[in-house]
Amino acid sequence: MGTSAQPEYAAFEEKVKHTVYMDNLSPRVSESVLRNALEQFGSVKSIQFIPNYLGPRNMPRCALVEMENTKQANSVLSILAQFPFMINGMPRPVTARPAEVEMFSDPPKKPGRNITVRWLDTKDPDFAVVMQLKRLAQRHSAEAAFMLEKQLEEEEKLALQQQNTLKSNYKKYEMIDSVFADGAARRLARIYNMNVLDD
Amino acid sequence: MSDTKSFFCARARGEEVKQERLRALDYGCFNTLFWKVAYESMVEADSEGVEFEWGKKRGRGGANKAVQFYESFTYDGVEYHLYDSVYMYEEDETEPYIGKLIKIWENSARGKKVKVLWFFRPCEIANFLGDQEVLENELFLASGEGAGLANTNPLEAIAGKCNVLCISKDSRNVQPSDEELQKADYIFRRTFDVKHCKIMDKMDDQIAGTDVKSIFNRTNLQDAGSLAIVVRSLQNLSKENPALRTNENCNDATVVLLDQNLYNENPVVRTNESCIGTTVDLLDQNLSKENQSVKTNENCNEASVVPSDQILCKENPAVKTNRNCIDTSENGVVAGSNIPLTKQKYSPREIRVSRPGIDSVDTAATNQRPENVSDHRASLQPKVESGNSKVKVGRLVRQVEIEEKAKCIKDSVDVDVRPYKKAKHDGSFKVSDDKNNILNLRLNSDGNDTKSLAPAASVADKYRLKSSETDTGPFKKLKPEDKTTMVSNRMLPNASATHSQCQDHKIDGQELGVTRRPNVDKSRWFTGPWEDRLQTAHEQGRLVLLQNLDPACTSAEVEDIVWQGFEESCKAKMIQRTAFSSPHSGQAFVLFKTRQVAEMVVKKLEEGCLLLSNGRPLLGRIRAPSLPEKNPKFFGHLVIDRLRYQMARENKDAVSTSHCSQPNTIEYDMAIDWRLLQERSDLTWKNLIEQQGFELKKLMARLKAKKT
Repeated sequence: MGTSAQPEYAAFEEKVKHTVYMDNLSPRVSESVLRNALEQFGSVKSIQFIPNYLGPRNMPRCALVEMENTKQANSVLSILAQFPFMINGMPRPVTARPAEVEMFSDPPKKPGRNITVRWLDTKDPDFAVVMQLKRLAQRHSAEAAFMLEKQLEEEEKLALQQQNTLKSNYKKYEMIDSVFADGAARRLARIYNMNVLDD
Repeated sequence: MSDTKSFFCARARGEEVKQERLRALDYGCFNTLFWKVAYESMVEADSEGVEFEWGKKRGRGGANKAVQFYESFTYDGVEYHLYDSVYMYEEDETEPYIGKLIKIWENSARGKKVKVLWFFRPCEIANFLGDQEVLENELFLASGEGAGLANTNPLEAIAGKCNVLCISKDSRNVQPSDEELQKADYIFRRTFDVKHCKIMDKMDDQIAGTDVKSIFNRTNLQDAGSLAIVVRSLQNLSKENPALRTNENCNDATVVLLDQNLYNENPVVRTNESCIGTTVDLLDQNLSKENQSVKTNENCNEASVVPSDQILCKENPAVKTNRNCIDTSENGVVAGSNIPLTKQKYSPREIRVSRPGIDSVDTAATNQRPENVSDHRASLQPKVESGNSKVKVGRLVRQVEIEEKAKCIKDSVDVDVRPYKKAKHDGSFKVSDDKNNILNLRLNSDGNDTKSLAPAASVADKYRLKSSETDTGPFKKLKPEDKTTMVSNRMLPNASATHSQCQDHKIDGQELGVTRRPNVDKSRWFTGPWEDRLQTAHEQGRLVLLQNLDPACTSAEVEDIVWQGFEESCKAKMIQRTAFSSPHSGQAFVLFKTRQVAEMVVKKLEEGCLLLSNGRPLLGRIRAPSLPEKNPKFFGHLVIDRLRYQMARENKDAVSTSHCSQPNTIEYDMAIDWRLLQERSDLTWKNLIEQQGFELKKLMARLKAKKT
């Protein structure tokens, strides 16, 4: 048991190094789409989407992508850091960062680590502190949840703002197109004595 | 198995393992932890192989005939037959799966395999149940086509027998009795179409290529429950147990082989004095295959033997009403054997034991007995005179005698039937066949010290058969007037019948099957979606979110922690960390068996302090899992009408759906905005986490200071 755990954990750690954590993925990104997107950096060995059981429902998806080797994983990381990288939509770029052990769904147990638990007696001098610790932990998780909510709000705001900008820009372009199409632009040019056909 | 998982709680409590096992049995289902514990203890105790023996063979198949199919096998002391329901152990599951064996084979290269047609627990298909009413203990048989219907699994994954009865009103189904229903672990009446995800009330003729008749209840389950028989081939028997012998020249020697396994090794149990006869019918499909004929012999007073089960009657011509049987014996030995047992479809088992409808038989038999006996004597006479067949006559004489003696005993000794159930008998009985072909069967039972005569019947097939319905319950119902039909195979090569089996067997087959075996292949044969289980568990209030764990904890460790803290088993899964989860504390969803347990855990955690080894108290609360929506919103991808078509195509073909933005586009500008936002939130998270870490450290420091 103990003997087999060591190499197994080492192999797992190696795997972690090959793996890239991808975030800001659209829910419509499927495994094949993601694989296709990242094959240009090397060969993708496996893809695992991380399920979101706790966060708000409209969180972007995240996934673990295992590459062939560490070099390929690093190239994914560096390219994605340099350029905004779009998968299955724009303009929100996906992000990548090195994977961590805890991100994996079933990491093997780290050898040599043992967990013990004990019920703390109410008369224990530490009891009060531990209760405080509990409250702190609760507060922290509430803070994190709040953060997440805020973050999503901001994302929504930005998306909305961009959409409006895009829409108005698009409208302008369409208007220009249409005035060219129905000859209004040319007529106006003649009236004002301007040359609009210079290209 | 999970070599890497630590069983820190298992080793220290060697003795508790047993306790735990019992408790788990009480539960009726077996938790993961228990498996681990049991497994561990087993490995330590005995890592050698588990007892295994093939039973009856079927055909061969596959390339080069490399695959041998079987009909039965004995594993770890439990005999399994085709179409038995079994528990299948899954490592990650709190409760084992239940399935029906629909194929058993061995491939020299790949080992022993079974094909299992699944049952679904209602919780597994909760989403499709709608407002359908579900009975307690109800299961749904998989049907249709597609994933989840049936799988091939290593035989070693079988964890034990499961008593699943079908209560479908389908005319093809043999309706179970009340007692049987009470004993059943589960029942089913409907199927779940895995393709269309629908509950079906009707059963098709075939499910997963298996005739539905095999899926319904078995006849012997009905009336034999208790009267299981062990039949051994003469060859085997003579080899294995020379204790009993009859003359070899007696072709028709007949011997009853009673099921010692069931009744603690003693045939007497069935032939107790109050039991003048017990109907034993042999429906051996293979007998007919092999052109062996079966002869049905009747006891004298069988005037009212009516096989309680119609199907049995229909299916097998050899099962006759008493009149026919008497005819059989009158007309000659061979009469019965002329009836080939051609119906093979029905029974996977070779033996049917029918217990006549007791109530009606009761009165009828009692009333008619005197006449019957005389009848028989009358019918006996001509034969003796004609000398047609000594053997026959001998047997009839014998039977008459037996019956008379049995009656005498019954009259004189009033012994409750019940003690026999538990009585342990020495299991040896002698059959001596003298020249007059009168068999004296002497049976000793050391439990009650009652001598009784065993009616003789032998089914000497090449195979040994054991009924797996090992419950003693129905035995209570045995009434004095139960009959025995003797079935003998006169074509046997060695007609000398010899047997007595002394096999130690527990009465409850399931108990044996419970223990987890070593070296089990852990292939995942069916992974129910975790989301569904989370959802179901939450709806039932069994879901608890544990917080403040060591982030490096594994799911198995969480289960161990829960075990240590609450002595409750559970199924846990760590929440995977994302960019937005705190590195200070890990979280895990834990599924408990019942709502009560879940509430108890939450309450205990609220009031008390379960301190983990990293000095942090465990937090628990009930929280709904957020499950993926069908059409989740995602901000930041803009859709322009013109682009829509193109995007749809890209999606479909999964080509060129990704690109790096070039700096001279609007897209790039907008992407940079996003980048900015992402950076900002990353930074905020970092700050938050740092600050939280600081607060935590401060508090922890106080804790440590107090300690020292």
